[in-house]
Parts: sequence; C-alpha cells; structure tokens
Amino acid sequence: MWKFSLRRIITMIPQIILLSIVVFILAKMMPGDALTGLIDPNIDPSTIEEKREALGLNDPWYEQYANWISGVLHGDLGQSFKFKMPVSELVWQRLVNTFWLSVLTLIITYLIAVPLGITSGRFHDTWADRIITGYTYIGFAAPLFIFALVMLWIFGFYLDWFPTGGSVKPGIEPGTLDYFMSKVYHMLLPALSMALISTVSTVQYLRSEIIDTKQKDFILTARAKGASESRVYNRHILRNSLLPIAAFFGYEISGLIGGSIFIENIFGYPGMGQLFLNSILLRDYSVVTALVLLFGIFTILGSLLSDIVLSIVDPRIRIK
Amino acid sequence: MKKATFSKLLLAFLLVFSLVLTACSKDGDKAKDSGDKGDKKTEEKEDGLYSIEDFSNTKTNEGKAIEGGNLNYGLVSDTAFEGTLNWNFYDGNPDAKILDWFDEPLLQWDVNYVYTNDGAASYETDAEVSPAVLEKLPAEQAAEVKENGVTITFKIRDNVNWHDGKPVTAEDWAFAHEVIANPKYDGVRYGDITNVVGVEEYHDGKADSITGIEVIDEKTLKITYKEQSPSLLTGGIWTYPLAKHIFGDMPVDKISSSKEVREKPIGFGPFIVDSIVPGESVVMKKNADYWRGEPKLDSVTIKVVNPTVVVQALEKGEIDTVSEFPVDQFPANAKMSNVEYLGAIDRAYTYIGFKLGSYDKENKSIKPDPNAKMADVKLRQAMWHAVDNDTVGKKFYHGLRWNATTLIPPSHPEFHDATNEGRKYDPEKAKQLLDEAGYKDVDGDGIREDKNGKPFVINFASMSGGDTAEPLAKYYIQAWKEVGLNVELLDGRLQEFNTFYDRVGQAGDDDPAVDIYQGAWGVGIDVDPTGLYGNVMFNFSRWQNDKNDELLAKGISKDAFDVEYRKEVYNKWQQLMVDEVPVFPTLYRAILVPVNNRVQNYSIEEGWNEKQDIAVTSEKALKAK
Repeated sequence: MWKFSLRRIITMIPQIILLSIVVFILAKMMPGDALTGLIDPNIDPSTIEEKREALGLNDPWYEQYANWISGVLHGDLGQSFKFKMPVSELVWQRLVNTFWLSVLTLIITYLIAVPLGITSGRFHDTWADRIITGYTYIGFAAPLFIFALVMLWIFGFYLDWFPTGGSVKPGIEPGTLDYFMSKVYHMLLPALSMALISTVSTVQYLRSEIIDTKQKDFILTARAKGASESRVYNRHILRNSLLPIAAFFGYEISGLIGGSIFIENIFGYPGMGQLFLNSILLRDYSVVTALVLLFGIFTILGSLLSDIVLSIVDPRIRIK
Repeated sequence: MKKATFSKLLLAFLLVFSLVLTACSKDGDKAKDSGDKGDKKTEEKEDGLYSIEDFSNTKTNEGKAIEGGNLNYGLVSDTAFEGTLNWNFYDGNPDAKILDWFDEPLLQWDVNYVYTNDGAASYETDAEVSPAVLEKLPAEQAAEVKENGVTITFKIRDNVNWHDGKPVTAEDWAFAHEVIANPKYDGVRYGDITNVVGVEEYHDGKADSITGIEVIDEKTLKITYKEQSPSLLTGGIWTYPLAKHIFGDMPVDKISSSKEVREKPIGFGPFIVDSIVPGESVVMKKNADYWRGEPKLDSVTIKVVNPTVVVQALEKGEIDTVSEFPVDQFPANAKMSNVEYLGAIDRAYTYIGFKLGSYDKENKSIKPDPNAKMADVKLRQAMWHAVDNDTVGKKFYHGLRWNATTLIPPSHPEFHDATNEGRKYDPEKAKQLLDEAGYKDVDGDGIREDKNGKPFVINFASMSGGDTAEPLAKYYIQAWKEVGLNVELLDGRLQEFNTFYDRVGQAGDDDPAVDIYQGAWGVGIDVDPTGLYGNVMFNFSRWQNDKNDELLAKGISKDAFDVEYRKEVYNKWQQLMVDEVPVFPTLYRAILVPVNNRVQNYSIEEGWNEKQDIAVTSEKALKAK
C-alpha cells in the first residue's frame, strides 16, 4: 500500500504543474486585473499604473508564472493584493473555518444517511421507504442556495434558534470553552443545511445497494445458516453495501475543502469557497492560483484516500 | 387537438400560479396594516413612489437614553472585509466603514466639504510661502513655488491622543507622508500627496526627507504645497497621521500586513478596537480619553451582514444600523416598524457616454477623433432628448433615483446648478435635431441611415449586475428606436464589470467597437471634475474642448477661492456639458440608511462626526412588530 501511495503521489506532481499552468493562463485571460476595481476619480490613474508595473502585471504571463512558481517552490505563495497579507496566512485562516464546517457537515451527512438508507433499503416499498425516497427527490430538486436561505429564515430569524451569520460570536476570547462552543453553535445551521441536501445522494446509493445485496446468493446462504435477521442486515448486507459510499468518501472530503460558495455566502461564513469566489471577482490572482493548486492537491489526495479506504472495507480489492 | 390540451394545461398552470401570487400579496397587505401604527415620515406618494426630500439625514430621538449600552453595526457586504485597518493603507470600502469608528481625519469638513477648524487639528494659511522651504529648493523651483504655492500651518489639539495614550504629534503626520511617498509603499494614496513640495523627489530617491514638510513643535506642522487652489481645502490635504512610535521602525512594505494594522489597529477615534475576527466582525470599546469627550456608548460591535439577509437582521434587532442599505429592498420594507430610514443624496450619478476618440498611452493624453461615429453634437443632443429618465427613475427605482440634469450632482448643493434643466425628454425635438444633422430615413424602414445614406448602427456597452441592468438597457434602446436610431447592445449582451471597463478604456486600450456606454461615477468630495473630464485616463469619452479646459482650469485657480466666482465657473461648465454632450447624466441616486428606534443622535449628514454622542434607549434593539 505504501508503494502504491508513493507512486500515486509522484505521478501527481506533473499533474499539478500542468494544472497550475492552465489555471495561471486562464486567470490571466480574464478581463481586468486586481486594479480594475480601483476605478475611482479620487485615485490618481498614474498611481494605479505604477502599482501595475510594480506588481509585474504588465509582464508576459510566462515571466509572471516563473516568478510565482519559484516563490511556490520556496514555500511562498505570494502576497494577496486585495488583503495585503501573505496568501498562505490568508488561506490558513479560511481553511481552518472551512475544515471544521466540513467535518461537522460530513458527520451530520452520515448520521442522516446511514439510518435512512438502511431503513429504506431494508423495508423497501413500504411507507417508510416512500417517505424517505420522497425526501431524497425533494433534496435532489431543491437548489442549495434557496434551501439554505429558507433554513436561515426559519431557524435563524423566525425561530431565533441559531445565529445568522459569521463563524463565531464577536468579542469572545479565542481558546476558551465559550469560544469553542460558539464556533460549533455558529456552524450548526450551515452544516445542517448543507448536510440535509448533500445527504440525499448517499441515502439513494445506500438504498439501492442494500436492495441489490439483499437478493444476492450469499445472503440466502447466511439466512440458511440460521443467522438472525439483524445479523444478516448489520454484518452481511451493510458491510457489502458500504462500498460505493467508501469510494465517494475521499472525493467528498476534497469537495468540502473547496467549501460551499453558496452556504458560505449566505451565512456570511468566511471560508474557502467565499474566498475563492471573491478572489476571482476581484482578480486577486495570487490567491486564485494558490487556491486552485490547493484544491488540485486535495482532490488527488482525496482519490488516493478513497482507494485506501476501499481496500480496507473490501479486502477483495488489492492495490499494488 | 394536441394544441388545445397544451393550452388548457397552460391555463391551469397559470391559474395555480396566480392563486399563489394573490395569496402572497394578501400576506403582504397584512404586514403593512400592522406596520401602520408605528408610521414614520416615510410617506408613500402616488403608486408606490418615494422622494428623497421626505427623508431626514439625522435620526429623530425618542425616549430617554440609558447609560452605556452596545450598538450593533451591520457592515453590509457579500464579501469578508479585507482587514487593512489603517487609513494610510486601506483601499476597500468595508474597511473604511470600520475605520470610521475608531480613527478619524485630523481635519473635519462641513456640508460643503470644506475643511473646518472644528476637528482634531486646526489649520491656517500662511501669508506667504515658508522661506525655510524656499531656501532648500533650487532657484527655479523656488520661484515657481513662491508664485503658485502655499504654506499651511496645522495645529493638532493638545488633548488628541492615540489609543495607547501617546499624543498624536506633528511627527506622526509628517511620518504618514513619508510612508506614502516611500517607493515601497503598497497602498494607493500616493497621488493624493504629490502636491506637497518635495514628495516626488523623495519618492524617486533624490532626497532624504520631504522638503515641504516642517515639524515646528510637537503639535505644530507646516506643509508647503506646490499649487494653491480651492481644491486643496476640499480633500486636497492628507489628514491621516500614522503612529510613528509604533510603525517607525517597521519596513514600509511590512506595515500593511503587520499585527498593528490587522489585529490590534490603532487610531485616535471615539472607540478602541478590542478584538477582531478576521473578515467577519470587530468589537470596539469606548475610548474614555477621546478628545471630543467620553462616548456615551460602552461598546460597538461591527459585523458583516450579507445583503440578502439585511432586512431580516434589522427586523429582528440583531443590528441597529447598517453601512449601506440595498435601496431596491426599500419599497417592500418601507414600513418596517422598528427603524427610521435616514436619507441622503449619493455623491454619484449614472451617465451615458459617447466615444469620441481614443487614448494615447505613450503620451498619456486623450486623442479625440473628429471623424468618430458619434462626433456630431446634434446626434448626441438628440440621444439625450430621446430618453425619459424621469420615468426610468419612477418605474425602475420607485423614485429613489431620479432624472439627472447636470454633471455636478445635488450632493454638492453649493455647486449643483439647480436652475439648469439639462435636456428634457422631448422625442420631437430629438427627431428634429437628427433631421437637421442629416440622419435621415432613406429607405423608409423607420430606421435612420447615416449622413451618406448608409446603414447606421450604434453599439451600446452596458454593464451587467442587478435585476434592473437588462430592462434598463432595453428601455434606452427602445427609446432611441422611437426616434429612429438603431442602437444595439455590444455583442448582443451586457458586459461584466471588468470586461466593461477594459473595453471602455480603464487602461487606455479603448475598444473601437464601443460607440456609447452606460457607466456611473462616484464623485469626490471636491467638486473639481478635472479627474473625469480633463485630459486624463478616466475621461472615457475621450472628448477634448478648449472651453472645457479653460473652465476646468479656472475652477481651481486662485480666483476660485471666491465661492461666487467658482460657482459661476462651474455653472458655465455644467451648461457647456449640456451643450456639447460628450456624456449625459441619466440618474441621481439616494442613499437610505435604516436606524433602530432605540438609537439617538445618529446622522448620515456629510461631515458629521459626533459618534461620542450616540446613545441608545434600551439594552436590546427593538424588534419589528
């Protein structure tokens, strides 16, 4: 397995370099640059021109790329023009927020998905199953940003159960228990909104997989051996049905690291998705390229993780 | 047969839909009824129209204020704030809104944007240019400065101290200039201080200090400016000191990312930053040592609120007031019972510009083209007469934007010529002007051809964004069609912000495909329009006119210190722009700011800076009924 992982990581390097070049060129092809937003009669155009020159925005793209990549190799992701701070620091701030939001979302997603999936698979074509599949269809159909707004309105504003924006209550000392609790409290509603929608595909996978497995011969054998119904479901069927979920696990993580642009914007939650979108809109190139690089690395790592998890869940799969 | 079923289905669908709609509107009525009790001065006129004149810019006080209390300020933005919390380095609007609470300029300005002596510092113009400065200059430059320049003496009040207790000194003020002029400076304010004698030399590394700045004693500073003009006293002075005892030893390019700017920023305003959650909130406590007196509030909490939920946050009393309010959400929430809406005229206008040339990047000069497609002044005049901006303001903006007449908006009451009516909506006149100019319909299809009888298509660049962008552009195109002009959207669609300004020429690379464009300008506090209509990059229409140059120069000449003279000059300029129409203004805009009823002594008036007086009448903000 180690050999396999190492090989995967090595093949990843040219992929990432290629990715970074493509992203860099695409970013440069976008109209405007970080200084376009400063069109303001109160700011002297020659100052802007000077800044443009100083930032190297007038150089050809390959020179800018060379500058940037040599910085990256030295561990320097550059300086964000908009935030006037090192990109690595900026990304770290946001990554922490997004990471915890993702963990909570994942936990809630599986907490919902597994029992619902099992119930609806085990008792398929009953009323319980119909209700659950009904929910999944609604989940598929509901656009996340509208759903999130509705959730925010009901639970945040109308019932007043949850805070309605930000990642933590202003003015709490970092590091205290209060701070931690406040962070979790602020994350709950966005995480729940996202989980309620993103869980539906997992429920569906699990359901169809269980229905499929239920009819396999080895289940018949297990029953013939006299295994109890709960043993049959929990040991034989469930374990075999988890395969597709495990396969998706790694991807799901990399998807969540990218953050949810909708969720983060609606809940005013400063995470990676929001940062990414704004950096594109403001043409903050150093941040955009650094983020894409990061997303690329996470996606590749995520698929590696998926493979490894898969091999653990299903010993028949051997990775070499 | 099939068609019939389809139309039946459609009918059924529409019925259901209209039922849903009526149900919704019923709810809306109910909400309105209950809101009526707490009715405010915001009166609805005919058909849901509003007018800026019905809004006050200062909060009416109700009830009795309590001791202390916390004010929640919503920073309305769909992005996190950048957190460059220092006036010398910031460039984002959200950051400025936060800065306003804990730091302030040394000079205050009045409603006409002229510096007063009521601020943290006072100023006095010296009788003649400082001899000490002239001595240090080469003879030729000295003569020039002596002739055109001016020395101003500033005195910082004795009780003005930084939040850490150290006095705000003349050194700090001089230091701000040095940092901005430093070639390693990473902000955008250098253009603001180049009028100071010696700044350019310092910037280019030819001098070790800025010749024009003399620190007389701890609280007194003399600055010599190259050009004396009325603009100097309306925003032409850099009035934000930089704490030298903190930033003095820091490399200039590291200041903006330092802890003292981002985590524990310093100022001398009424509140002190207590804690910051990067990008989302700031908590401030009062500065008991504030020079205007101890603030009545104990603390202020600023947090970012997404524009989509700002109404709910206000109704719930989660925030007391906001940095800005999306005006398009006002008509639906005009009767919100727990707030009072303050209103002011925005320092901005929307306009339509005609491309009359290009930009010469080498010589940094505009290059008018006498043969440009839009070069005929009658054509431009006709296009102004053809559009009905009054109706546009009513139909698209409920009267909260209204017909603009001249290029100096009424936000500058002193210089806006209210008697100048611009060009009124008059399609007949438009047609007549076009006939006179030779744009005639030769082939009888209702569309005018150009002077040579060739097909005549005008390409219109307009920006995307907001719900009204598209219908508005379509309206204008329609209006021009009525007088027989064939105007088409550039590329058949709206342009995204960056693309739009690239093609219009923000970097000097004008796209020749653009014939006319719709843009908007926020104008500075100084009325001088040279930055937009002189020989500069931002003169996107690339229009040049001797009379214009002359008037713009007169407006900032020494004679213009006489306000009456300056008014006359700008009245003439406004009329010139109505005659020549290189661009024409379309709409002026209102700013609305809702403030919770518990808040007292709050204002959005220009130059208001009495935040220490803000008080609240209850611990918690009032909720909407």
